[in-house]
Amino acid sequence: MPLSSPAVTKPWTPPGLVMLPLRPRPLISALLVSSLIGVGPLFTLTLVLGSLIAIAHGAAAAAAAVLAGVLAVLTCVALARAVATANTRLLSSRKGRDLALLSGLFVAIGVQFVNMGVQKLSGQGGLGVLRPAADILRWVPPASAIDAVQGVSEGAYGIAAAQFALSALVLALLMWWWSRSLTHLMTAPDGSTIQQEKPRKGADGAGPSAAERGPLGLLLPAGRTGTVMLRTLRYAVRDPKAKASWVSSLGVGLLMPFITSVQGNGSIYWSCWAAGMLGMQMYNQFGQDSSAFWMVAQTISSPRDAYLELRGRAFAVALVGVPYVLLAVVGSAAFLKKLPAVPEALGLAFGLLGALLATGAMASVLRPYSIPQDSSKNVAPGQGSLAWMSLLGGMIAGALLCAPLLGLTIWLHTSGMHSLLWVLLPLGIVYGAAIAETGLRLAAPRTVARLPEILAAVSKG
Amino acid sequence: MPDAHADADVHAPAEAATDPAAPHQRPAVQVRGLWKRYGEQIAVQGIDLELPAGQFIGLVGPNGAGKTTTLSMITGLLRPDSGTVEIGGHDVWQDPAEVKARIGVLPEGLRMFERLSGRELLAYTGRLRGLPGDEVDKRATQLLDVLDLAGAQNKLVVDYSTGMRKKIGLAAALLHNPEVLFLDEPFEGVDPVSAQTIRGVLERYTRSGATVVFSSHVMELVESLCDWVAVMARGKIRAQGALADVRGDAPSLQNAFLELVGAREQGSGDNLDWLGGGAR
Repeated sequence: MPLSSPAVTKPWTPPGLVMLPLRPRPLISALLVSSLIGVGPLFTLTLVLGSLIAIAHGAAAAAAAVLAGVLAVLTCVALARAVATANTRLLSSRKGRDLALLSGLFVAIGVQFVNMGVQKLSGQGGLGVLRPAADILRWVPPASAIDAVQGVSEGAYGIAAAQFALSALVLALLMWWWSRSLTHLMTAPDGSTIQQEKPRKGADGAGPSAAERGPLGLLLPAGRTGTVMLRTLRYAVRDPKAKASWVSSLGVGLLMPFITSVQGNGSIYWSCWAAGMLGMQMYNQFGQDSSAFWMVAQTISSPRDAYLELRGRAFAVALVGVPYVLLAVVGSAAFLKKLPAVPEALGLAFGLLGALLATGAMASVLRPYSIPQDSSKNVAPGQGSLAWMSLLGGMIAGALLCAPLLGLTIWLHTSGMHSLLWVLLPLGIVYGAAIAETGLRLAAPRTVARLPEILAAVSKG
Repeated sequence: MPDAHADADVHAPAEAATDPAAPHQRPAVQVRGLWKRYGEQIAVQGIDLELPAGQFIGLVGPNGAGKTTTLSMITGLLRPDSGTVEIGGHDVWQDPAEVKARIGVLPEGLRMFERLSGRELLAYTGRLRGLPGDEVDKRATQLLDVLDLAGAQNKLVVDYSTGMRKKIGLAAALLHNPEVLFLDEPFEGVDPVSAQTIRGVLERYTRSGATVVFSSHVMELVESLCDWVAVMARGKIRAQGALADVRGDAPSLQNAFLELVGAREQGSGDNLDWLGGGAR
């Protein structure tokens, strides 16, 4: 991992090396040696050294440990460099940059699972779970070189020799792969030289309607509402910023009730997180467009246009949000064995979703801010407080708007009228829909009145 | 759509505009007392403009002259501090529905929905404009063909080159067949092949009686394309009128322009006397 950090791999990109007057073989040898300098290799060396000291017993094992240490560190370094070199074109392409923007999100969600795993392994005898994996990993280089030292310590010289040979072979293969990728990158023209105009599906004159709207588009309503929904959903899949936002909302919305349940603090009300996280998608709608909002602004001339635009965006959120909230609440109830509580929790969740759609529409119009498209930041410099005001104010307003539903829930519980709790489901649905509709209708005329100001606010990134 | 005859009738709009029987008697765009300040800096200083209909109009000026700010205010993308703008007799801020239906815009420095393919972008724009789906698809196919984008129609706009972006932006601006087309630096960063394609489409468009207003600082381009020009410098209009009138006795528009904006011949004097020659 430390060997693969961008700070370590960046100086070795082929464009920087192509100017050096070196043949491939001396170049790759020089790169391998210079790759051993730095914090990353030192960190790897420390880990390998610790492992070897722990298992090397006797003079023969100590001698084997020296060979194993060199093999293990060189294999790690060669692997990191070979992978980085093979992916150079990807990392410098638009798709690579998109992936890089998403990688932070996967790390953030992955950390939650790592955290749960560490908790499990830290328990009494927890490491025993790893034994089957260890039996396989001892034959996977560079671990095989380290395990060979243990073999030498125990007198199993034949197995140790095989493990050393395996490590050496993998190192040789990695060096060959690295050298081949590097030579190819430094001698073959890249995308800036060759115009890649591969014919793609639909380019052969196939029916334009099918190509434009796709299977999803055909299911959506006609007119502005369906057009806006389709564009919003396409962006949720294709735009890295939008995708990161959607994936984190969907991930956290499900993880929160699950983690609290696993930790023993589970409550079905935690599933309202799903509604909360999805409702947040409605915030800063025009900021998500960035300066492309001018294309929308050019087609909004009346409160009716603005209402249809906002409604399309709200419908896109609801199209994903409603089934997702249903899944989160029912799943959570099943996990906690509290299925009778589904109607009240679902009613509250739908009420909250509606309230956040309403406040999100208003916040999008009154407190828009830029989302820089080419950096990992989610707010343009100088607009941080604006973003916080928008989100925090909207969430507080959303919670306040849910107060009648919350009040009714508490009253029904405290007054012992549990048989009437089902009422919250139809009430929540109607209340959520009504409040969302009110929010959209209030936001629409303000959108028309503020088009240039919104465009200026969302064009800073 | 442009064909082999597209270049044969470049001056037709000028003739149409000078014909007293021409249908476009009202100015396409009328600007009065337009101001825009950014803090201490005055970007546009009370300009008045009357742009005739049915012509190819160039708004020229050096970098920072206020061309983009002016076009943004005229097209309703930027609110002016004061002044009025009328397009086809309709006030941009009082009557936006009438104005937005009549204009097409290709701004400079603003993105498009680049995670859509070229065809999807046109389908989206046309439907937002309220055109029937079938009509949008038909027009999009024709525009993609004429602008030589058919082969890249399913590629995401984010992967387009600068020239391709300008062309798809132009297609989006033309899709609803506007009366007046505003283009901010449409040829900036565009290769000669794409520039010729854009030019052909615009010439065909103005021959139909429509108006094109475009900004540029490339005088040769303006001189070869435009019938009418407005020269801007430091937020003010320095001259406006038919190309021949603005050029006056100067040998080229470039010379007239330099005179109008007050640019002096930069004497090199002793500066950079080390550059070139034998000594290193």
